[in-house]
Amino acid sequence: MPRTVMPGDTITREARRAGDNVLLDGDTLVSTAVGIVNVSDDTVSVIPLSGKYMPRADDLVVGMVISHTSQAWELDINAPYVGFLLATDVFGRDFASHADELTSKLALGDLVAARVANFDRTRDPLITIDDRDLGKIDSGELVKMAPGKVSSLIGRQGSMIQAIETATDAAVTIGQNGWAAVSCESADGLLRAKRAIGVIDQWAYSPGLMDRVKSALGHGGG
Amino acid sequence: MGTVSILDGLKRKLVADSVASGRRADGRALDEMRELVVETGVVPKAEGSARVRLGRTEVVTGVKVNPDRPFPDTGDRGTFICTAEIPPLAHPDAEAGPPSEAVIELARVVDRGIRESHMLDMSQLVIKRDVSVVGVFTDNAVMDDGGNLFDACSYASVAAILSCKLPVWEMAEDAPRLVEGQRRDPPITTVPVSVTMGRIGNHIVVDPSLEEWMCLDARLTITTNSEGNICALQKGGREGFTPEQLNSCAETAISVGARVRPKLEAARRAG
Amino acid sequence: MGGRETDMVLLDANGIRCDGRRVDEPRRIMIRAGVLHNANGSAYIEFGDNKIVAGVFGPRDVHPKHQSNAETGILRVRYHMQPYSVTERKRPAPSRREIEISKVIKEALLPAVMLERFPRTAVDVFVEILQADGGSRCAALDAAAVALADAGIPMRDMVSACAAGKVADTIVLDINNEEDQAGQADMPVAIMPNSGQVTLLQLDGVLTRDEYRKCIETGIAGCRLVYDIQKRALAERHFKGAGQ
Repeated sequence: MPRTVMPGDTITREARRAGDNVLLDGDTLVSTAVGIVNVSDDTVSVIPLSGKYMPRADDLVVGMVISHTSQAWELDINAPYVGFLLATDVFGRDFASHADELTSKLALGDLVAARVANFDRTRDPLITIDDRDLGKIDSGELVKMAPGKVSSLIGRQGSMIQAIETATDAAVTIGQNGWAAVSCESADGLLRAKRAIGVIDQWAYSPGLMDRVKSALGHGGG
Repeated sequence: MGTVSILDGLKRKLVADSVASGRRADGRALDEMRELVVETGVVPKAEGSARVRLGRTEVVTGVKVNPDRPFPDTGDRGTFICTAEIPPLAHPDAEAGPPSEAVIELARVVDRGIRESHMLDMSQLVIKRDVSVVGVFTDNAVMDDGGNLFDACSYASVAAILSCKLPVWEMAEDAPRLVEGQRRDPPITTVPVSVTMGRIGNHIVVDPSLEEWMCLDARLTITTNSEGNICALQKGGREGFTPEQLNSCAETAISVGARVRPKLEAARRAG
Repeated sequence: MGGRETDMVLLDANGIRCDGRRVDEPRRIMIRAGVLHNANGSAYIEFGDNKIVAGVFGPRDVHPKHQSNAETGILRVRYHMQPYSVTERKRPAPSRREIEISKVIKEALLPAVMLERFPRTAVDVFVEILQADGGSRCAALDAAAVALADAGIPMRDMVSACAAGKVADTIVLDINNEEDQAGQADMPVAIMPNSGQVTLLQLDGVLTRDEYRKCIETGIAGCRLVYDIQKRALAERHFKGAGQ
C-alpha cells in the first residue's frame, strides 16, 4: 500500500536524506505536499498528486505557444514559468528578425513537443525543438494530467503506455509536465486512449490500476 | 467573457470539425444544452438564492429585498437591479477590480431579459406611492466560467427570484416598517428564459461550452417569455448573422426555452 | 465587540449556549476540496452558517510586473463578500474590513507557504463569502489553506483557524453571530498544527490575563479539531484511489 501524506505530516525520524517535496526539520522529515511517500536508497521524497510542473533540464514537455517577440516564442508548459523557444532554434543560426516571420513557423495556440534545455529559477526555462521527434504537433488532442502521475502513465519500462497504444492504435506523446498529445486514426481508439489516461489521472497510485485501465480500454462506444 | 486565454490549435480544429459534422466535441447535438442543475435556497440569509450548474459553468445568485426610494418618474413601481460579477476565482484571466466591459454587458443582458419580460409585476412592489417602494437586488457571482455565462446567470437570477419570499412592510410615520412574521410570494407574471447561441462557420450551436465560446464568430442571446414571445435580444461577437439564421435562432430559442422553463419553475415550488 | 444588551440567555445554568452547544463545542464544519474546474486548487467550507468558496491560482506570472520579486514568490489574498451574504445588502466594492481581513489571512498563510521556491511568481488566493456568519475570517482561512494544498503549492505545514471568545463571563470555543453581537470578547486564532506556531491572532473585547491564556488555549484546541476536518477533505479528494 502506498503511504499518503499531507503538508506538515511527519514522514520519519530515521536518518534519511530529504528528497523532492520533503523538508528536514531538526531530525524530522516533513512532507510539503499532498502526495505519496517514495523511498529509494537513503532518500525520502513525496510524489505530489497535484500542482504545476517544475522544469528540469532534459525533460520532454508538451507546450502551447502563447505569445512571441521578434526573437523567441513563449510557451505555456504548465509550469510557474513560461518556456522560451528561441527563433534561432527553429530558423537556424542565420535567423534575421527583420526577414523571418516567427508566426510562419509557429502560431498562437500551436502545440509543440520540446525538451527543456536549461533552467535555474533565476531565468525562465529555455526549451528546444532541435532534435528528432521534437517540434510542432500536427494532429491529435491535448490531454492534461497531474505531472506527478506521468510516471504512472508511462509505467515500468513503458509498460502502461505500451498497453494503451497497442490496445487503441493511438500514438501518445507524453510530456513530463503532465500534458500529453494523443492521436489516433480511429475516433473510437482516441476515445478509449483518452479514457484510459483519465483513469490513470484519477487512480494513479491505487493497487488495481492496471485492471481499471484495461477495463477502460476494453470497449468503445460511450 | 472575461476570457483571453488561448485555445490550443488542435482543440480549435476539433471544435470546428465536430460542429461541421453535426455532433459537437462533447458529444452534444447542435441544439442541445448541457446538463442544467438548479438548486435554490443555497444562501438562506438572502430572501431568494440559487446555484446553477450548466455543464462546467457554476453561478451562485442571491436576491436581497429592501425598502427603496422610487425613481422620481415611476413612483408607482418597485425597483429592480441586477448585477453580475466574475470574481477572480472563476477563471485564470478574471481580475479583481472594476468590472470589464464584458462583465457589464453580461449583467445588462441578464437584467434586460428579466426586466423586459415583466417577470415581476413592479406595480405590486409599492409600499407608499412616490415615497417608498420595494427594491429587488439580484446579484450574480460566477464561481466557475465554463462558457455561456449569459444563460447560467439568467437561469440563476430567475430561479433565485422565483424562490424568493418577500418581506412585508407598512408605512409608519412616513417610513417603512417591517411587519414581523409576514412573507409573501413575489408577484410573478411570466418566466423568462434566455437561450444563447453561437455561430461557428455556418453552424449555430446552442449553449456553447468554454472551448466553443473561444471559437465563436458571433453569438446571439434570445430571451422568451412563458407565452413563447421574444422579449430581449443581444447580438455579440466580431461577425454577423444572416436574416435566415436569425429566424432559425428564434425558433430554436423558443423550443429550447420551453424545455428549460419547467426546470426554473420548479424553483417556485421549492422556494 | 458587541457587548450589546440582550434578552437572550447566552449561557444557561447547565453551561449550554444559545444555539445548544457546550462551551468547548464548535459549530458544524464541512469542507470539500477541489470544487472548481478553472482554479489550480479550491475548497468549499460550511462553518456554522458561513458558506465560503476559495480558489487558488499559481505559482504564475506576476501582473503587474513591478510586484514581482527576484528573490521569492509573492502571496496575494482577496477576501470578498457577495452582496447577498449579509442581512443588509452589501455594496460589491471591497470595504476597509474586507481589505484588512485579506491582509491578516495572507499573513496567517505566509509562514506555511514555501514561496522562496518560486522566485518571480505569484500565488493568488481568492475567497468569496456566499453567506457570512460569525467567524468568517477563520472559516475563510481554513478553506484557503485547503485550497493551497489542493493546488499542490509546497507548504511547511497546514494552517487551521478557529475563534474563541468570552460569553457570559465564560471562555467559549467558536462564537457564533449572536454571541459576537452580545458577547464580551472575540479572538480569532490560527495555528500551524504541526509546528504549533500561532499565525493569526486578533481580539475584540476585554480579557483578564487568565482569560487571555484560557482563550488562546481554547482557540488552539478548536484549530486542532478543524485540522482533522481539513485533512479528511484533502484525503477524500486525493487519496480515494490510493489504497485508503
